[in-house]
Amino acid sequence: MSERRDVNENDGVIHYELQEFQVFEPLFRWARKKSLWIVAFCTGCGGIEIPPLATARYDYERFGIMPNPSPRMGDLFLITGYVTPKTLKRIIVTYEMMQDPKYILTHGSCPINGGVYWDSYNVVKQLDKYIPIDVSIAGCMPRVEAVMDGIMEIMRKIESGEADGWRRYRENYDYYRKNQDELFGEGWREKEAKRWLAWI
Amino acid sequence: MVAVDWKLILEAIGILIYAILVGFLFMGIERKAMARIQRRVGPPIYQPLIDTLKLLGKKESISHGFIYDFGPIFALAASIAALLFIPIANFQLFSSNADLIVVAYLLEVPMLGIMLGAMSSGNPFSALGVQRGLLTMVAMQLPYGLALIALVQHWGTFKLTEIAALQQVQGWSITVPALLLAFIVFDIVFQAMLGLEPFDIITAPAEISMGPMVEYGGKHAAILFTQHAVQLFAETAFFAVLFLGGASNLLTLFLKQLAVLFIAIFVASIYPRFTVDQAAKFFWKWPTIIGIIAVLLTV
Repeated sequence: MSERRDVNENDGVIHYELQEFQVFEPLFRWARKKSLWIVAFCTGCGGIEIPPLATARYDYERFGIMPNPSPRMGDLFLITGYVTPKTLKRIIVTYEMMQDPKYILTHGSCPINGGVYWDSYNVVKQLDKYIPIDVSIAGCMPRVEAVMDGIMEIMRKIESGEADGWRRYRENYDYYRKNQDELFGEGWREKEAKRWLAWI
Repeated sequence: MVAVDWKLILEAIGILIYAILVGFLFMGIERKAMARIQRRVGPPIYQPLIDTLKLLGKKESISHGFIYDFGPIFALAASIAALLFIPIANFQLFSSNADLIVVAYLLEVPMLGIMLGAMSSGNPFSALGVQRGLLTMVAMQLPYGLALIALVQHWGTFKLTEIAALQQVQGWSITVPALLLAFIVFDIVFQAMLGLEPFDIITAPAEISMGPMVEYGGKHAAILFTQHAVQLFAETAFFAVLFLGGASNLLTLFLKQLAVLFIAIFVASIYPRFTVDQAAKFFWKWPTIIGIIAVLLTV
């Protein structure tokens, strides 16, 4: 795997994609499929579609899916609705905090092409330009059954190895970085970080 | 040349593997039972094993320095040390004249190890979680100590094997009225030791997003999961030995542990969470009063 990291080369990330462990890869894939932890970051109006999934009628915990508040442990990033540039900054930072392999599932038409906000000045029309998306669910809003179907689809893709958004993000990091910088301007990460330093 | 006792080593490793597997099973039972109480189907009973496998299979892991890596390992080691002091079905690797005190405090050490690692990550949520954890630990020491004092005063010994043996002859601890009170106190404290619902203020997921565990991911989190499994096994076994008469074989022990675990799950699934100050006030009020009565009854 090509090693294209951020500006900080030694940011304390341990990579281990050792050839010796390739034997266990099918087992790990099965485990990844059966234990998707959701990063509880509900953007837009689709966040309200998640509670019915968790409760008794649909119960996604059957498949080992669990909401997890910490991005370090999360696997599945749900983007549930339209994305404004302000939210997109947080989404990118959260996505980069998550650890490989990580997957993105988007709800609704807005992340695909803007949806009802197609002529809005402050909605990100095509999310795929900024971060890699594994599965998109169309609809405004998709019903719970459609979300369930999307989750089934991403589980199928993880097992077959098609869900490789995290790898695409590493390999085409320059492309994504260029698009992000075009939207926010150069050096937006440092500016964001400076704003939060006072709280740490 | 030191003679190596291979049988003992194999027994210790066997107990360790058994404890980890049963601990994972207990974690699965916990999630499944909670789901059934909420009328959901729930995850398969081996779900914690899948989770740990997935965490081990993560391709990268953030490290914040040596102490951050050391914390989970320290916690796991402390849990294993506590486990080897507890008499599990006639097997006890380490034994001393006061192993009750040793186990009681070794069971608290893992929390300190996790806090050590969490504090070095520099995450504000971790710091908040550690503050809450230390306050809970301080709050629960008093009733915990009183329950153990009542127990020791009644049986007149600090040795866990002797306590278990005396219970086999004279009936379980909970059949003694004073020790029944101590049992109630210990069960309340037990809820906080397991980090279950009325006292899950340390890892309150909706408030401070997992507290000390917020920065851990990948292999570190897998170690913490294993640590939790061993800890769950050790704590339930300690409870069973102290109050439910110990066990002479693994099956009896398993059933007693399961009984203890289900009390904790049922309590956890109906109560909401205390805030930190409420928990401290609660611990220093009702369990302490009951504990003092228990101690006075055993004098």
